[in-house]
Amino acid sequence: MSVSQVVSPVRTGDASGDRIQRYSLGERVNHWIGGLFYIYCLVTGLGFWSPYMFWMVVLVGGGPAARFWHPWLGLVFFASVCWMCKLWFRDMVITPEDRAWHAAIDHYIRNEDEDLPPIWRFNWGQKIFFWLMFYGAILLLISGCGLWWVESIPWSLRWLRYLSVTVHVTAALATIGGFIIHVYMGTAMVRGGFTSIIRGEVSAAWAKTHHRLWYEQVRKGTAGRE
Amino acid sequence: MTNGWADIKNTDMMLIMGGNPAENHPCGFKWAIEAKRNRNAKMIVVDPRFTRTAATADLFAQIRVGSDIAFLGGVIRYAIENNRIAHDYLVNYTNAAFIIKDGFKLPEDGLYSGFDSEKKTYDKSTWNYEEGGDLTGKPVAPTPPNQNAQPQYAGQQREAKGYQGASSAEAKAGAVPAPSLPPNIAYDLSLQHPRCVFQLLKRQYSRYTPEMVERITGIPKDQFLKAADLFTSIRKDGDTKKVATILYAVGWTQHSYGTQMIRTAAMLQLLLGNVGRAGGGVNALRGHANIQGATDMGGIFDIWPGYLKVPNPNDVDLKTYLERVTPKASKPSPWDSFNYWSNTPKFAVSYLKAMFGDAATKENDWAFHYAPKIDRNYSWTQIWDNMYRGTVKGMFAFGMNGVAIGPNSQKNIEALKKADWLVVGEIYPDETSEFWRAPGTTAEEMKAINTTVYRLPCAGFAEKDGSMTNSARWLQWKNIALPTPGDARLDQDIVAQIFLKVRELYQKEGGAFPDPILKLTWPYTEPKHPALSELAKEFNGKALADLIDPKTQQVIKRGQQLPGFAWLKDDGTTSCGNWIYSGCWTEAGPQLMRRGTEDPSGMGVYQNWAWAWPANRRVLYNRASCDPSGKPWDADRRQVWWNEATQTWVGNDVPDFKPDSAPKDHMGPFIMNPDGVGRIFAPLAAFADGPFPEHYEPTESPVVNALHPNQSNSPVVKRLTSTADKYGTVSEGFNIICTTYRLTEHYHYWTKNNPVNVQLIPEPFVEMPVELAQELGIKGGDTVKVTSARSFYVAKAFVTKRIRPMNIDGKKVYQIGLPIHQGYRGIQEDADRNARTLANRLSPAVTDPNAYTPEFKGFLVKLEKV
Amino acid sequence: MSQATLAIRRISGHAGPAPGAGVERAEQVCKLVDTTTCIGCKACEVACLEWNGYAFSQTTFNNSYQTMPTTSWNYWNLIKFNEHEREDGALMLLMRKDQCMHCAEPGCLAACPADGAIVQYTNGIVDFQQQNCIGCGYCVSGCPFDIPKFNSNTKKMFKCTLCSDRVSEGLEPACIKSCPTGCLHFGTKDDMTFLAEKRAQQLRENFGMEKAGVYDPQGVGGTGVIYVLHDVSNPEAYGGLPKDPYIPWVVQFWKGPAKWIGNLAMLGGIIGVTLHYLRFGPKQVNGWKHKEGGKP
Repeated sequence: MSVSQVVSPVRTGDASGDRIQRYSLGERVNHWIGGLFYIYCLVTGLGFWSPYMFWMVVLVGGGPAARFWHPWLGLVFFASVCWMCKLWFRDMVITPEDRAWHAAIDHYIRNEDEDLPPIWRFNWGQKIFFWLMFYGAILLLISGCGLWWVESIPWSLRWLRYLSVTVHVTAALATIGGFIIHVYMGTAMVRGGFTSIIRGEVSAAWAKTHHRLWYEQVRKGTAGRE
Repeated sequence: MTNGWADIKNTDMMLIMGGNPAENHPCGFKWAIEAKRNRNAKMIVVDPRFTRTAATADLFAQIRVGSDIAFLGGVIRYAIENNRIAHDYLVNYTNAAFIIKDGFKLPEDGLYSGFDSEKKTYDKSTWNYEEGGDLTGKPVAPTPPNQNAQPQYAGQQREAKGYQGASSAEAKAGAVPAPSLPPNIAYDLSLQHPRCVFQLLKRQYSRYTPEMVERITGIPKDQFLKAADLFTSIRKDGDTKKVATILYAVGWTQHSYGTQMIRTAAMLQLLLGNVGRAGGGVNALRGHANIQGATDMGGIFDIWPGYLKVPNPNDVDLKTYLERVTPKASKPSPWDSFNYWSNTPKFAVSYLKAMFGDAATKENDWAFHYAPKIDRNYSWTQIWDNMYRGTVKGMFAFGMNGVAIGPNSQKNIEALKKADWLVVGEIYPDETSEFWRAPGTTAEEMKAINTTVYRLPCAGFAEKDGSMTNSARWLQWKNIALPTPGDARLDQDIVAQIFLKVRELYQKEGGAFPDPILKLTWPYTEPKHPALSELAKEFNGKALADLIDPKTQQVIKRGQQLPGFAWLKDDGTTSCGNWIYSGCWTEAGPQLMRRGTEDPSGMGVYQNWAWAWPANRRVLYNRASCDPSGKPWDADRRQVWWNEATQTWVGNDVPDFKPDSAPKDHMGPFIMNPDGVGRIFAPLAAFADGPFPEHYEPTESPVVNALHPNQSNSPVVKRLTSTADKYGTVSEGFNIICTTYRLTEHYHYWTKNNPVNVQLIPEPFVEMPVELAQELGIKGGDTVKVTSARSFYVAKAFVTKRIRPMNIDGKKVYQIGLPIHQGYRGIQEDADRNARTLANRLSPAVTDPNAYTPEFKGFLVKLEKV
Repeated sequence: MSQATLAIRRISGHAGPAPGAGVERAEQVCKLVDTTTCIGCKACEVACLEWNGYAFSQTTFNNSYQTMPTTSWNYWNLIKFNEHEREDGALMLLMRKDQCMHCAEPGCLAACPADGAIVQYTNGIVDFQQQNCIGCGYCVSGCPFDIPKFNSNTKKMFKCTLCSDRVSEGLEPACIKSCPTGCLHFGTKDDMTFLAEKRAQQLRENFGMEKAGVYDPQGVGGTGVIYVLHDVSNPEAYGGLPKDPYIPWVVQFWKGPAKWIGNLAMLGGIIGVTLHYLRFGPKQVNGWKHKEGGKP
């Protein structure tokens, strides 16, 4: 059975006990493929970005190997983003609840979660991060192709070469910004978040705390099925 | 070359026509660039195409192929009209003042006096100087010179043919002596006599007005005038210091009147006083490293080594021969003439001694009868014609690719199909040795070919030593760089072994006339491998008895190498294989191996670099670089001069003159001419087609001759008449002028075997004007077919602005050009990447009547997109 | 190619100063190409090919005498042929030897991320060190003359070395050696500039080329290859020689301010989240005290 068949955003979440399934196996595999290849491209990309970070490239096999794999693994990253998009597209649409949540984001930052309006499966920040990575990946892909086959861009269209550099760097920096916050929140800030993307489960309390509407939907869905 | 490559740097003005030195002589072209860079010399390029030479020119004019005489004639007219001439030079060093016989007629109707319309030859007896004396200032009889030409001269005296041949019928008729130059020439130093050469010249080219030049050449009048003005500007306001040179190559030679094109240039240079001077002269740029050497060594059927004429059947004995070929001095009586060819008997006897050694004795006329006599034309196109007609049965082809050379390559291929055998000595399989692979040969045809081909692997240039003679007449020795690969052998070894085998057969079997073979000298240490150094020594010559110079008491011992040709004797005491090369390998050692780079005068003379014939002279006729009193025309470019103290000629170069002839004796500087002067008018049999050049149309031309429409082509040009020789006309649709050329990226037909050359120019192409391409819907890179009356050629279109449509006498004419390099054997050809047609399938086998060079430049074709 | 005898002034992708910078003062070498005496014979192309040991490659006829459209990784020296019509209608056949210009401010070196893949010797030669090259192609974007070329087999970039191997041994570059007309000269930048200016002056004064001049673009700090042009106001006619070349501003920004802005942004991000953690700590589900229940 293929992972994608199991995973439906609506049906995700088994609220039969104290533990609720937040991410299906497919979602987790997808997340980690994207994540690992993003990290590879990040490390090698940072090496190409600055001589002071070239050591990172050395860590992953040296310049020529890094240069060889960076675009190919970048393609894998892009593919994982596409897959992710297919899995989560509906969940990632910004809803009126998200807008309300966003208006109260100060509370979130200050860990005053009780003062936040309830939200669905993903909060506004997660969604913004998703779209950042999604559009970032598209830009990185297009500009990356420009860099990959830079010689094929005719001299008369050389502005495309320059545009590729600009876009690739800008898009990369933007995703790096998002990535820093994502990693921080996923590991240090939101307790339980990291486990959820490893094991796929959260506690009912966690779900209720952070994603109440989703929690309730899952509960209802389960009751209905029972 | 009258001058030399390095000497070009001394010039102030260059006219480059009929040649493309930047592409075909890039290393020599360095000196043209030096002149521009160091002397601000100007360069005029006149060519059918805007070539890479034109890219560096100060003035370019696009000329219609084959109309060069009209252009040069126009410049002569311009120079005379504007008094841009070297008056003192003209009067003293040329035959401008000499008076021509009454009855000589200029070709205002296209014919000179004495034309025999049946034989298509001229009786040249009126083309001669008048006997007499000083007519300067004397009244002239009012007979205009042009109305007295009557055919009464025709047949009166036997013509002398260019190849010195005579038919056997003529031999029987015999006895009538050829006309000769008068010993005492009539002259008019004021140049006013209506029959003096100068006035005839003026009259001849008065018809070549700028308007006429435009009508014939297609060069707009104002552009022509610019060029004429620029070129003759060196003689502006009586300036005698500046010098102009003319550089040409086979773009002039390869016409049915090619010799006359070169003549026109020589006349112009004499008129401007440029011959004999540093930075001047008429300079043939040779297309092979050793083509000069080939002609010097008698590589043409009608000359022996050193430009001695080959005997013909009328030369019943040595005396008759020598009398015929040894000129007698002919000059105005107060003047002197060295007439150096008066030494011909010495050169000829020494040559026979070199050939037949002890077998050449006084009693047997120095073995004169062992030497072959020529009874007819044996020139290149004739050989192929004879093979095509089945009379020539076999061929040795060494160091050349006869099929690719053409002209009319398909005819040569057909000829080889009829031959019994063919021996090819080459370094690559070429079109000649694999003639049956020519595109279009059917399997049936292949079965019918019975020619046995022997292909002998020869040595490449780097695998041989020996000397090569360059355009500047320098004999330069090269060493072996590499051993011959595999079974390849040196060319001279192969020839030697064939000779020794033939001699063996003659020894065994006798034969009709074995002596020339049996008695030929073969004195080489290893007979089967003659060392080229031994051959070089042989053609330098040696003493066969002790020789003493009566003036200096210098002694040359028997067996010693001769110091130079001045020592040659006609009594059998010297041998010399080629008199002009005498001095190249003396007792002092091999002069041709010298590598001295000193140049004290700074004029690029390089006296100690290699050795130049004759006598190590670097600029020929250099006496003419001084005024009649013996002082250089330009004190900054001193070549030779008269030293009053020593009473001799001295200088930076070896004087090309009698060393002790004082200026007051007025000896002519052109010592090889019996008249001692530069010939603006070429008397008697010097040329088959006229004493002055006249513009004629190429054999295939899109227009009629604007000067004389009823005599469009040269009247003495004969067309070959075999079934393979066809000629096209505009009415048959052949309406585009086509010319052929080489590219700097390739060398003839063999660099198509070398990867780097192929990379530089991978495919054959046809250069054509943008306008023509548009008319025919052709784009650059399209495959096109060029068809002449003889065959067709397939290549890619090269659409370029560098050839422009021409307006010839009100008619729009297109010219196209194609490089000759590709064929059906080579890297691209073997990979089937090109059409495998030879360029010379298109060219006609019609030749110049003097030099027998085919008309590769300028024929008619049609063009279509494939 | 590594040239041990040549000291290095600049290194690409290098953290810290170049080891040879300021240590040794060397004469700047320079190639002078006088396009007014170039005859397009391609001897320089062949000399380059043979000296550097590159083999024959298949070419096709392209309506020009030009060997190929541009230089390639194994063909560093190409004469560009252009049929150019002057304003007065006269035709010119412009032939320009195209190769690396060896800029004083090399855009390729600026763009290169790989430590030591591109160096500039103290004599001014800009040289690719293939053993350090990672094949990213950034130099292609950095070059204002479209010179660096990629070998897709070895994944390395190549270009004219100005025969650094020959020059380091006191020889002239192979192309110079082969030039038959003396259109190519080699020497110090000062000498070549002098020679070029003199030649341009001669062309202006004696050959009616009023616009003749020397091409030594200052946008890249001057070049180690300078041209004498018939018309210096129109270098584009010579097969696209840029009129005013400079390192693309994108590359300048990317390798200059953008680097620090980016680095600061990334650093700022990390500092930001760290400070956040220190100030607010982690989110605890236990700490959630919504009045509508939920287990502690």
